[in-house]
Amino acid sequence: MRTRLLDATKGRIDLFSEFLDLSRFPESEHVGRMSGYLSAKYADRRPDVVIALGEESARFISANRKNLADGARIIVAGFSRSTAEEMGLPSDVVGAFSEFHIVKTAEMARGLQPAARHLFIIGGSSEFDRSWLATARADLAAFSRDYETTYLEDLTIDEFTRRAAEFPSDSIVLALTIFKDRDGRNFVPREAVKQISETANAPIYGPYLTYIDYGVVGGSVVTFESLGKTVADLALDAIAGKPVSSRESPQTYVADARQLQRWGLSQKNLPPGAIQTFKEPTFWEQYWLATVTALAVITAQGTVIFGLLVERRRRRAAETESRHRLLEVVHLNQSATAGALSASIAHELNQPLGAIRSNAEAAAVILQSERPDLKLIEQILVDIQDDDQRAHDVISRMRGLLKKRGEIDWQEFDLNDVTTSAIRILHGEAARRGVVVSSNHAPRELPVRADKVHVQQVILNLATNAMDAMVDVVTAERRLMLETTLTRESKVELSISDTGSGIPDEQLASVFEPFYTTKPAGTGLGLSIARAIVETYGGKIWAANRPEGGAVFRIVLPLARSG
Amino acid sequence: MKQLEPVVHIIDDDQSFRTAVGRLLWASGFRVALYESGDQFLAHFPDCEHGCVLLDLGLPGLSGLELQDRLAEKAPLLPIVFLTGQGDIRASVRAMKAGAEDFLEKPAPREALLEAVERALHRCETQCREQDRIHGLRARLANLTPRELDVFGLIVRGKLNKQIAYALGTSERTVKAHRHNVMEKLGARSLAETVSIAERLGLVDATADPLRR
Repeated sequence: MRTRLLDATKGRIDLFSEFLDLSRFPESEHVGRMSGYLSAKYADRRPDVVIALGEESARFISANRKNLADGARIIVAGFSRSTAEEMGLPSDVVGAFSEFHIVKTAEMARGLQPAARHLFIIGGSSEFDRSWLATARADLAAFSRDYETTYLEDLTIDEFTRRAAEFPSDSIVLALTIFKDRDGRNFVPREAVKQISETANAPIYGPYLTYIDYGVVGGSVVTFESLGKTVADLALDAIAGKPVSSRESPQTYVADARQLQRWGLSQKNLPPGAIQTFKEPTFWEQYWLATVTALAVITAQGTVIFGLLVERRRRRAAETESRHRLLEVVHLNQSATAGALSASIAHELNQPLGAIRSNAEAAAVILQSERPDLKLIEQILVDIQDDDQRAHDVISRMRGLLKKRGEIDWQEFDLNDVTTSAIRILHGEAARRGVVVSSNHAPRELPVRADKVHVQQVILNLATNAMDAMVDVVTAERRLMLETTLTRESKVELSISDTGSGIPDEQLASVFEPFYTTKPAGTGLGLSIARAIVETYGGKIWAANRPEGGAVFRIVLPLARSG
Repeated sequence: MKQLEPVVHIIDDDQSFRTAVGRLLWASGFRVALYESGDQFLAHFPDCEHGCVLLDLGLPGLSGLELQDRLAEKAPLLPIVFLTGQGDIRASVRAMKAGAEDFLEKPAPREALLEAVERALHRCETQCREQDRIHGLRARLANLTPRELDVFGLIVRGKLNKQIAYALGTSERTVKAHRHNVMEKLGARSLAETVSIAERLGLVDATADPLRR
């Protein structure tokens, strides 16, 4: 159930489980304590959905839903529809009901033991045990006519085992539940069944999956998978807000291959579709080891799992909101960068525009002359087209720089390409500031999965910082270097280094903190935004000083695909 | 068509832009020379040619303003018209203070460009003519004897012959003879002309009193 829920929601829910042990501690003090305890425990995490497994827990949550899970959808499971009706559960509670068809189990026994003459039905002394016995008596009325039928009830555990040893070998034994024996001793039913089966002189059948491996041959049961899937599907529908109604978990015939062998029963006589467990001991033993605890918890009547699908909506809303915040902040950062680069961008636009204008005017003058040089005119027109393209490129780069995101635009791209485009954007500004930009690309493609515009923004932030760090350096020494590499750990690295004065060692760690700035006009947000972006895409960023002077910032991002 | 003597030197790192501006000026009848950097211009420009410079303010390497400083030493008479894509007020003020002829914003319309270039060339011409005259005067000044030079310095400061004679420890008549020689050698026909020549040659320093030397 857990697996199904987590798979279907891609892990976006929180699951909490609580074992109430109400069957063995039915006293009202315990119930009250449990209610108080859970109410306090989940005070800040009110669940969306509560799954109650077993009768007592269903009753418990119905009685305490105001304190524990106000407004939550309640799903009950692990008992029959008739039991639910008797309990009078609130009308909005839906169930994944398990119908324990004792007749089906009995028929499976008849198939395996066609020659049997005796029928024994075993049940305990608790209220549940007695009601089960009553149900079985009614259900088996027809079936039991063919046998010499004995109901073993109101016995102590010792009496049960003694009587079991005396079963005639042509007997069919059906075990219901024993939560309590006549002396009032409490049991987990399968343990009682196990004790009985050890001395029994005839095969025992039971309608519970948990009885398997506790000495029973098998029965018609609701498997863990079947119940879990039914409950989980109900829960998922409830979360999705679809209308839900009670349904029945499908049943399966299960037989223990070792028990078939013990009693000399032929597997050919099993009903069609029956599952044999322990047929290949190693495989099944592994399987059971892993699930037996869960199984016990699920079907034992006093057990509850609170599947608390807590805060799912709130958490998702919070995640969405924080992502939107990041996108907003990144966009502000983009605008600030665009503002800082506006002078050089204007220059970059004015160059082609100025050239176009002068070329057009020159052409006009040439055409007025007596014998216009048409070859030259032709060349002028080609140049005008080229400059127009150049202006267009500047504008589309600018548009890319200012692109606002409502959502992260995930795409796979080559880090080398983004580095190149960032350099193109910075080229004018670097020239204006007398900074020489050099880049060294890894010889291979460096695929990264992220939002291109965001990664470009990180590069722009780091590069403009680097240029700012070099204002006091003589012009000839202002160098900005960008380098991309594939690290030995198969990550993609980009380093941006400058020839500025570096960062004081004690401040290397704090440069990424918000509002850290050394510039009079700085906001102190550039690097913290860079870090937020890099971390969003599963990467890391850090700063260091170069031994030859100047600072170097490194970004590491995961490689999008291996190879 | 204009006289083809002066050359407009266009210095811009943007090949396409300088070609286009070059074409426009060429089509409008100017001689043009194109350079991609300040260093290239300094390495090639001919010393004593008339013309003007059309200079991109935001040049990489040697910047526009740095080149202006260098030209102030090497070719003080070459007027500079700055072209800029960015309205950088501080740089513009600095450029104008350092003697820029004009300041145009890219993209400059043809009329503005031609007007600025023509004005610059005109200025170059007058400055060069003035420069030639000064060169001539300097040559004449070189003909004066040390004594005549002393007398010249005192005349242009409005000293009377008597005062000069006293200051130099000589007779008034001797001073008169020197004075005559000075004016003849310099080609001045009046005292006012003599003073004007001294001023152009930068010999009149109002704060200094040569009598107290």
